[in-house]
Amino acid sequence: MADTIEETHVSERSALDVPWVTLVLNDPVNLMSYVSYVFRSYFGYPPAEAERLMLQVHLTGRAVVATGTREEMERHVEAMHDYGLWATMGKADA
Amino acid sequence: MKAFAARDDGVIVAAISRDEALLLQNLASQVSVLLREGNANDPAVIRMLPDAYPGDPASSAEFRRYTASGLIDRKVSNADVVIVTLSAAIDSGEVTLDRGQAQAWLRSLTDIRLSLASRLGIESDEQEPSADGVLQGLYDWLGFLQNSLVEAVGG
Repeated sequence: MADTIEETHVSERSALDVPWVTLVLNDPVNLMSYVSYVFRSYFGYPPAEAERLMLQVHLTGRAVVATGTREEMERHVEAMHDYGLWATMGKADA
Repeated sequence: MKAFAARDDGVIVAAISRDEALLLQNLASQVSVLLREGNANDPAVIRMLPDAYPGDPASSAEFRRYTASGLIDRKVSNADVVIVTLSAAIDSGEVTLDRGQAQAWLRSLTDIRLSLASRLGIESDEQEPSADGVLQGLYDWLGFLQNSLVEAVGG
């Protein structure tokens, strides 16, 4: 009994602990200079990292731009939609 | 309209003709109307307010319930900044933007370009230019303007 409760507890904990991610997806409209600018000015990425993430979006179709709680990621996704970037969110392990 | 450039005092300026100013005002107000009408089946609206949770319609709907009205209000207010600053530019022949106005312009130019792209059917990076030469020319011009504005604000 005690073991079962312990296990349930552990599995709930780890489910809650899985972080969420904010993804930015490639689109044919947004300019590379603009996407890179948004990553620098909103997330505070240094220029080289912002450029790397922008190129990852452009070349592979998507990039994880932030990791954290669901509430934080919802705030980031909303901010990306303010900028007109195509952003979505999901579990980090998905 | 020429490229945007930052003056020494930080104000961002661009020369603009009366016709260009009227055209941009018209585009900005069309986007405002689209957003206020909020037709959930319009590809332009869908692109400006995309699903936050792909493959999860319930969570996407809930996200939209909490965020859409704020997003629409801010996008409409950005378009208003574009319209008002262009009104001032019609007589002077020059758009002048402070930092906040430049941010509104960056976002609103993006919304205008996303809406135009959905009308032009632009869906991939490799696509040929649209057969609609006028709209395609307008779209390319807005891209040029936005790129110069990104550089002027510190791109």
